[in-house]
Amino acid sequence: MSSVTRIAGCTVMAINVGYFVRESVQSFRRNWVMSLGAVITIYLSLLIVGASVGSSMIVGQVVRSVEEKVSIRIFLKDGAAPADVDALNKALVGDVRVKDVKYTSKEEALEELKKTTLADSPEIVDQLEVNPLPASLDVNLKKPQDVNAVVETIKANPGFLKVADRPDTPEKSLKYGQQIVNQLFAFTSALRVIGAVFIIMLAVISLIFINNTIRLAIYARRKEIGIMRLVGASNWFIRTPFLLEGVLQSLLGAFLALLTLGSVQWFLLPKLKESISFLPVSLSAGASVQISLILILSGVIIGLAGSAVALRRYLKV
Amino acid sequence: MISMRNVSKTYGADKPALYDVNVEIEQGEFVFLVGHSGSGKSTFIRLLQRELLPSEGSIVVAGQDLTRMKNWKVPFLRRNIGCVFQDFKLLPNKTTYENVAFALEVIGRSKHVIRTQVPEVLRLVGLEEKINSYPDELSGGEQQRVSIARAFVNRPPLLLADEPTGNLDPATSLGIMSLFSRINKTGTTVLVATHDREMVDSMRKRVIALENGRVIRDQDRGVYGYGD
Repeated sequence: MSSVTRIAGCTVMAINVGYFVRESVQSFRRNWVMSLGAVITIYLSLLIVGASVGSSMIVGQVVRSVEEKVSIRIFLKDGAAPADVDALNKALVGDVRVKDVKYTSKEEALEELKKTTLADSPEIVDQLEVNPLPASLDVNLKKPQDVNAVVETIKANPGFLKVADRPDTPEKSLKYGQQIVNQLFAFTSALRVIGAVFIIMLAVISLIFINNTIRLAIYARRKEIGIMRLVGASNWFIRTPFLLEGVLQSLLGAFLALLTLGSVQWFLLPKLKESISFLPVSLSAGASVQISLILILSGVIIGLAGSAVALRRYLKV
Repeated sequence: MISMRNVSKTYGADKPALYDVNVEIEQGEFVFLVGHSGSGKSTFIRLLQRELLPSEGSIVVAGQDLTRMKNWKVPFLRRNIGCVFQDFKLLPNKTTYENVAFALEVIGRSKHVIRTQVPEVLRLVGLEEKINSYPDELSGGEQQRVSIARAFVNRPPLLLADEPTGNLDPATSLGIMSLFSRINKTGTTVLVATHDREMVDSMRKRVIALENGRVIRDQDRGVYGYGD
């Protein structure tokens, strides 16, 4: 029978990309209110994703730089016996966790103050009659995580009490950066939890919106779909415009989110950097590319998922 | 072309819409399927399109066993079956030409194929003057011709028609039937489900009569033959 060979010959199909794009853009315009709703919810959810990923990247960088700077400063009392200071110094240098120890004299401490904090008005320093700053030993560590253990060791050292500038409250003779690091970590983990909750909520809302727009699109085209089924359009040919429409909406949302984040980075970040110059608030180009990829990818996934659910429920092929 | 063996179709728990139907239709035949409303004609047609699967029995169309056919293959089966309906099923925002071309577009035919086959089939159905008209500018008979052109443009070996003249006056119906007859002469198998008595009696083709889901008569050069 000749018809058998005809069926086999039909399986080769040229895909008309232009047709799919035209169909999805047209449908987007037909239901623009719903589509806009979908785009806005995706925009908001991706904006939060981007903002939380970006800010956690920045905070991570800040934490690292603070950690690098983690050193223990031991303030020495005026007139501490050089032999005692030397003994403490030797004990510290002998500790395997310690990278190096640096002695800062009272005069050096004053010079440093003049150069950094009081750089704008060095005359204040010159007006001082006596030098109020203590000399110190700066202990740099190999690993910042050891900071608490080393602090305990120093406190336990009897030589420390002999030279400390406040032997009655030895805590205050020690200064180290762990507190800042801990606070930063607490802050970032809280940020992550809040961000995750928002992202999940908005992702669900976006899915519902996309699901609805695709349902409307299917309803608007039900006659055409019926005829397509009738004349033997393949299932993927019928589905593709709707999938593409969902992806189109999310890509638009992702693009708007990127635009917003980009302008924040462009206009706001430099100002932030100015106001807190002691912390390295910046985002590398690599990190920006990473965030863009994350946003675009999650946009495509949300779009495909939303329209796929709608197609399963409303389009019987 | 069509082979139905012991085919039954039951919707839910009701009495069967079709019961133990055995029908063989050869390639190139012209067959009328007659019966009252609810006799099972539409179920018969929808089974052949594989809109429905039989509850029992086997159906072979164009060498393909429909009961064992994978879902993704169904579109390729339908490219070999042209379908015409009582309500024409035309797209109101497309012209005659576009409506027919649409059937070729969505199965991925090239622009070249579309540009040659669409005018050809419109000439066959006698609508070459109306290629730029929209469906609401056409008469019922003309609209049905467009839908026949769309069903036939891909040159399917089988053409199914479910009450094609149900909305048309007798004179127009005659024109549509003679069109089916011409299509049949090109070698296409034609199956027309109808309750248009005069048409069936005047054409003198093979008639399969259904009543309450059973085949009660199958005769060559038959007549409508119900007493009402």
